[in-house]
Amino acid sequence: MSVSNQDIDPDSTTGVEDVTDGKEELIKHCEEMWKDMEECQNKLSLVGTETLTESNAQLSLLIMQMKCLTAELSQWQKETPEILPLNEEFLVSLGKEEFQKLRHDLELVLSTIQSKNEKLKEDLEREQLWLDEQQQVLESLMVLHSELKDQIVTVSESRIFNELKTKLHDIKEYKEKLLLALSEFLEDHFPLPDRNVKKKKKNTQESTIQLITLHEILEILINRLFDVPHDPYVKISDSFWPPYIELLLRNGIALRHPEDPTRIRLEAFHQ
Amino acid sequence: MAVLRPQDQLPGLNTATILLVGTEDALLQQLADSMLKEDCASDLKVHLAQSLPLPSNVTRPRIDLIVFVVNLHSKYSLQNVEESLRHVDAAFFLGKVGFLATGAGRDSHCSVHRNTVLRLAQAYRSPLLFCDLEVDSFRVSMAQRLVRMLQVCAGHVPGVSALNLLSLMGSSENPSAEGL
Repeated sequence: MSVSNQDIDPDSTTGVEDVTDGKEELIKHCEEMWKDMEECQNKLSLVGTETLTESNAQLSLLIMQMKCLTAELSQWQKETPEILPLNEEFLVSLGKEEFQKLRHDLELVLSTIQSKNEKLKEDLEREQLWLDEQQQVLESLMVLHSELKDQIVTVSESRIFNELKTKLHDIKEYKEKLLLALSEFLEDHFPLPDRNVKKKKKNTQESTIQLITLHEILEILINRLFDVPHDPYVKISDSFWPPYIELLLRNGIALRHPEDPTRIRLEAFHQ
Repeated sequence: MAVLRPQDQLPGLNTATILLVGTEDALLQQLADSMLKEDCASDLKVHLAQSLPLPSNVTRPRIDLIVFVVNLHSKYSLQNVEESLRHVDAAFFLGKVGFLATGAGRDSHCSVHRNTVLRLAQAYRSPLLFCDLEVDSFRVSMAQRLVRMLQVCAGHVPGVSALNLLSLMGSSENPSAEGL
């Protein structure tokens, strides 16, 4: 405290004297108080000790408490608050001390706030950077998105159509080829029976009937199957040569109607 | 110095001294450590004792607060405290004595009923605090409380005396004790 006191008025020598006077005054004050305390202490030490047992404690303690509380109360009522002598030096030094304490506290607050600010600034920068990156990513994604969108449009409108067209064309060609190959195969390997030979063996009634080729039988069966899928059975007419019918049935190419033996259908190879 | 008296010495400058009495050495030591860790404007001193009276051949500062620690798991601990109470001057009971019961958390281990301790504290007109000293967080908060009490008892809180605090605590601390 003496250091701070001297700071107030370092040039004047009278100020220093005042300070030492004030200090002495305070010390004297304290000494008096200490003397009072010692006196009280001496008086107290003369009072005998008293111990308690659990049985008698309550009442005597209550009485003691009451006495003490009453004494305290009257003390509080009597006492006027004592203040330090209103010396200008005291007040100035006290004020200065107080201010220094305040300054110290405020400096602490300032430094914490500053460090916090810096941290926040760093955070902000980092967040900004992050935001920029995210925006870049977003932009590039947007570009990619729009590109893809354009592609989708072109694909859907022209390319797929063309692809489908060529596919369709290919398949049609293939089908033609297959049909052609089938008809050639059938013509080569499954000819109609020679009528002249037959006529000799069979009776005249048969010979009058116009037989159709295996090719035609198959065509009828196929057309029936696709034109009327719910009832694909075909009545066996006299123009079907029975050996060929037998051939189709034996090889599992055609099936007989389960209830009507005069009707057959093509096996559903396409399902 | 067979009987402990509150004003048998002049107080030390800015010193507050607490005396913890109990048979649980380890727990008392832990409690004392927790108290010394507390941030406190006064110069804290913690003395530990198994029982009273204290040996008279040692110089020690003025004791501002005595806390008797009773372990509810041990009857011996209670007997020890009851014995020790005989060596305390009546003036101490004007706010400078407290009872601390530990171990109430594990009811099955208790060999001393809580009401027994409650009645003891009531008989000596002193506050009874419950705290499981084995639990760290409980012990720390109890240490905080004891430090505040000690500061009042040492006269370091202007305007509040130990007796003042006692009369404040008595009404709020154990209202159930009034019925006993």
